[in-house]
Amino acid sequence: MEEILRMEHISKCFGSFYANKDINLSIAKGEVHTLLGENGAGKSTLMNILIGLYQPTEGKIFINGKEVKIDSPNQAVKLGIGMVHQHFMLVEAMTVFENIILGDRRSKGILIDKEARRKEIVELSERYGLDLELDKLITEISVGAQQRVEILKALYRGAEILILDEPSAALTDIEVEGLFAIMNKLISEGKSIIFISHKMREVLRISDRITILRAGEAVTTVQCSETDGQKLANLMIGRELTPSHYEKKSVDEAPIIELKHVDYNKSSKHNGLNDLSMCIRPGEIVGIAGVDGNGQTQLAQIVTGVIAPDKGEAVLHGKTVSVFDPNAFIENKFAHIPEDRNAQGLIGDMSIADNLVLKKSEQKPFSSGKGLKLNKKAIRSYADEMAAKYDIRCTSVAQEVRSLSGGNQQKVILSRELESEPDLLVAAHPTRGLDIGATWFVHEQMIAARDRGVGILLISADFDEVLEVSDRILVIFEGQIMGEYSGKNPPVEEISIAMTGK
Amino acid sequence: MLGFLSNIIYATVRMAVPLLFISMAELYSERAGMVNIGLEGLAVIGSLCGFLMSFITGSVWIGILCGALVGILINLIYAYATISLCANQIVYGMAINILAPAVASFVYRIYFGDGSSLNQISLMKTISIPGLKNIPLIGPLLFDQTPMVYLAIILVIFTAIFFNRSKAGLNYKAVGEHPKAAATLGIPVIGTKYLACIICGALSGIGGAYLTTCYSTTYTEGIVSGRGFIALAAVIFGRWSSGGILIACLFFGLCDAAQIRLQVSSLSIPYQFFQMIPYLATIIVLALVGSKQAGPKANGNPYRKEER
Repeated sequence: MEEILRMEHISKCFGSFYANKDINLSIAKGEVHTLLGENGAGKSTLMNILIGLYQPTEGKIFINGKEVKIDSPNQAVKLGIGMVHQHFMLVEAMTVFENIILGDRRSKGILIDKEARRKEIVELSERYGLDLELDKLITEISVGAQQRVEILKALYRGAEILILDEPSAALTDIEVEGLFAIMNKLISEGKSIIFISHKMREVLRISDRITILRAGEAVTTVQCSETDGQKLANLMIGRELTPSHYEKKSVDEAPIIELKHVDYNKSSKHNGLNDLSMCIRPGEIVGIAGVDGNGQTQLAQIVTGVIAPDKGEAVLHGKTVSVFDPNAFIENKFAHIPEDRNAQGLIGDMSIADNLVLKKSEQKPFSSGKGLKLNKKAIRSYADEMAAKYDIRCTSVAQEVRSLSGGNQQKVILSRELESEPDLLVAAHPTRGLDIGATWFVHEQMIAARDRGVGILLISADFDEVLEVSDRILVIFEGQIMGEYSGKNPPVEEISIAMTGK
Repeated sequence: MLGFLSNIIYATVRMAVPLLFISMAELYSERAGMVNIGLEGLAVIGSLCGFLMSFITGSVWIGILCGALVGILINLIYAYATISLCANQIVYGMAINILAPAVASFVYRIYFGDGSSLNQISLMKTISIPGLKNIPLIGPLLFDQTPMVYLAIILVIFTAIFFNRSKAGLNYKAVGEHPKAAATLGIPVIGTKYLACIICGALSGIGGAYLTTCYSTTYTEGIVSGRGFIALAAVIFGRWSSGGILIACLFFGLCDAAQIRLQVSSLSIPYQFFQMIPYLATIIVLALVGSKQAGPKANGNPYRKEER
């Protein structure tokens, strides 16, 4: 097999963090080479290096055996590398034709030579079976067609290596078939494809070889024909399973909240829920396992009353919820650790003390007259107490919350939410971006809350975390629950395959 | 009656031209995603500079050229703040509107003192185009004008070709629509935005200078009288296309011409009511057209290069 691209010992640091560490990757002419890995495994970083958006800290890139330096997207294009971004780079107010010729430098004239360009594009699209209406505006064509425009755009610029970043993510099943047909056509014409995907079924169907990335390193490269979903899942997760530190419980009390056949934005695979039913009982942690962007955000928003489901119902303490309003949910003792602590959890310019009493500012002793006059002294002493109890490291509680580290910000949220003595806590990615110490602290607090009888919904893209603390594990994929597993000795392999939708 | 009509049309063209230059300035700016509400200020400084330099040199053409240059200069303040420092475009546009007229008045008083003597220049001569001039009815109206009118017509045609037919124009438009996509295709986003600001400054300055070199023989405060803002409306009314803007400017020019005529012809109604006509028309037009936003998609947003 003739090698077209080789990346040797590629490393990329952001500060002290290695996003890529000593990665070797070899792409052959005419193959579909899949990059498989969890979120944060380093796939995007590696591809951004290849298209010239990032410079590698170390390592070399060879194209057709010659060493090259890719210092800009332009350079990547010249070297025949094209990328179809997950979020398309198309100008919506322009036609398909205009998008393809945008930035074109191959002809000298000032005016657009419509006839000649058109002929080239039509030839190219017929050759690769990319069926397109050139005069339609981007807004008038389907997502699948938009993707074909992106592919054609890359081919028009002479791409020999095509990077497809999660190309099937936005497509319907029929469109995915069309995409695969195009990919097959491309490789039969000698192009090479780097395919990035989470979906095991698709990966196994289309790939020639698969390179598995894990925590920034390339674990191994396998021939597709010599592997199966089970093996790949193991390689992807690839860890010695340490049994959880925490005792797992199973409870049988009446649920705090129950969702029945909930639909939300059903047609979207990535930001919707599809006939989802589940419940959370007091004194248990329900972990939602799944690759990011499979409806987790919407689930958290429904359970906290931010959005209302399109169909189905939510039953709260045995009563059907009629109005979805965050305040009503808070009054029902719902607490929420939101997924984006800076945007949703904290007010960065306010002090730690003020952030801590956000939910209680109308109550005594923090204010008199329903929040008319704040009692600064009481707030201050309460904040000092909380800072000690939750180990919030700061110079003073009057400090702006923005100036704290991520871990300490999270502790502020945690203490505010847990001190409200909730019945139910929705924790969305509670340890994202935290170091080991802070993560441990958050887990301890969650377990302690559980033991006090709080029901907890844990949503996390970190599979380890879900395994560590959950009493019950639900797997979510494209807005659907794929299965329910006990947190006690969970069948890890089965769950990891369920996460990829198989 | 025919005399009245041709008078109105003649005046309409004359009133539409400054508006057209200023609106085209905004079109070039917004097509690269730069909303510039500082047109009024740019036009005021252009009108002062056009008058002053014509007064000093005796050449209206030098006046117009200097009007363009000073427009560019002032607009570069806006450009640097909004493009390089990613500041809010509306705030800086407003800042230009406050700064430029003040500078204009300041310079005028320094040069001419506080005296009440009227300083005048001779206006640009009309040039008739032989042949075309003899077309009945519209011939004398359109082709017996100052060269600035012809320049405005050429500008409209050139702009239409640039944005609809040329590669450079397509790339330029992409910057205002989706700068990130443009950047991935190797289009210089920052460079295009600066170019847009230079064109905008120059055309606004010329629009202002027209008022003191082809329309009124002297500079007075308030000579631009809101044309910078009407131009903003004209761009929206004209749906960001050069032909549309031409029609919009002729419409507003007509309102202006009509109000002057009506002022003269009716003595019983206070003239202030007629003066309102162009502005009322602006409000009505915006209310009717403004709901269907169709401008460049990334209009008004700063462009930050992607960094982790």
